[in-house]
Amino acid sequence: MGSAHKRQLSDPEIRVKALESLLVEKGLIDPKALDDLVDTYETKIGPHNGAQVVARAWSDPAYKQRLLEDGSAAIGELGFSGMQGEDLMVVENTPEVHNILVCTLCSCYPWPTLGLPPVWYKAAPYRSRAVSDPRGVLQEFGVEVPEDKEVRVWDSTAELRYMVLPERPNGTEDMTEDGLASLVSRDSMIGVALVNPPA
Amino acid sequence: MNGIHDLGGMHGFGPIDIDPEQPLFRNDWERRVFALFFGCAPHGFFNLDEFRHAVERMDAAEYLELSYYEHWLHAYETLLVGNGAITAEEYATRCAEIAQEAG
Amino acid sequence: MDILTPDLVPGMLANGATTRVDVDAPLRFKVGDEIVVRNLNPTGHTRLPRYLRGKRGVVEHAHGVFIFPDTHAHHKGEKPQHVYGVRFSMIELWGDGASPRDCCIVDVFDDYMDPL
Repeated sequence: MGSAHKRQLSDPEIRVKALESLLVEKGLIDPKALDDLVDTYETKIGPHNGAQVVARAWSDPAYKQRLLEDGSAAIGELGFSGMQGEDLMVVENTPEVHNILVCTLCSCYPWPTLGLPPVWYKAAPYRSRAVSDPRGVLQEFGVEVPEDKEVRVWDSTAELRYMVLPERPNGTEDMTEDGLASLVSRDSMIGVALVNPPA
Repeated sequence: MNGIHDLGGMHGFGPIDIDPEQPLFRNDWERRVFALFFGCAPHGFFNLDEFRHAVERMDAAEYLELSYYEHWLHAYETLLVGNGAITAEEYATRCAEIAQEAG
Repeated sequence: MDILTPDLVPGMLANGATTRVDVDAPLRFKVGDEIVVRNLNPTGHTRLPRYLRGKRGVVEHAHGVFIFPDTHAHHKGEKPQHVYGVRFSMIELWGDGASPRDCCIVDVFDDYMDPL
């Protein structure tokens, strides 16, 4: 049997191992808690949460009203709350208005309903152009917004977090909430995609 | 500060890399970097605004070239090392030990 | 908490860490007010992007009172103040070639704005 393969560690690997091991030794962090945190965002908190919120809003006009008036409270009714969503505002796509979200300064994003942001959302191309050329950005995502529709870009510079309530597609009148939720993509709640009618 | 992070309206960054298969974390060290923020939270080593400002103060070229979680790693080093939590010496020593063990 | 242990993780995530504060602060603006963004260029932390400085907008939302990042980042106090959602037309931000129908709505702290 050969010896265990020794792989050279990358520079960031070395640095985070050093930080973590020192903080553990000083009794300041519990690695199991960190494991649980990662697991939570990899498996539990994600866009499926937001899809449920959208499906409920489409199905229940009173809920939709509450959602638009106080996003945090309304998503709390479905059990979603907390970190990076304490002050959440939901913005509605309509036949007149298309909303798109960005954080030009860093990566602010509504974690309780969408989980952690995609890499492209946090990178320079999107952050720089969403505010100055949203229609061009939308075209890159395959979305064409008609000239007579307003595009509204929300730049989350403070601690308000935003989420788009996409337009409900035609042909979904008889669908259950679960069925509706399955149509709603993460990108539609950022505002870079539309929700397609069922196939 | 009028730093490189203040990207709104800039030109020249090219197309958006839309990869629908992008995982949240591309490797294990990114997971550890993410979670460390919350491990540090109870101790008050830094607040979120301070953390963001530490990222903003990165070298501008590095900010653009390095990946997102490397920004966080830079912020931890700025705010934890030589700032009360971890001494510069013990950090350097530990990094060297880990690099050595890996071969 | 002294140290984050596994049992504390769900509660920490569910509660979050709002920076909204329950104090009175001067409400200098109301929805509908026309404002101009101050030409501030601090060397420290700010959440005022360059693309807004000197630009004119209209207050669309009054979000309430929050910790002020510009001071908080430097341990100079929370300086709680109102945050407003302000609408800026694309033409105001980027010039006459921009789309006439579109806008940006950006959260602006009270300290960043003056009445127009």
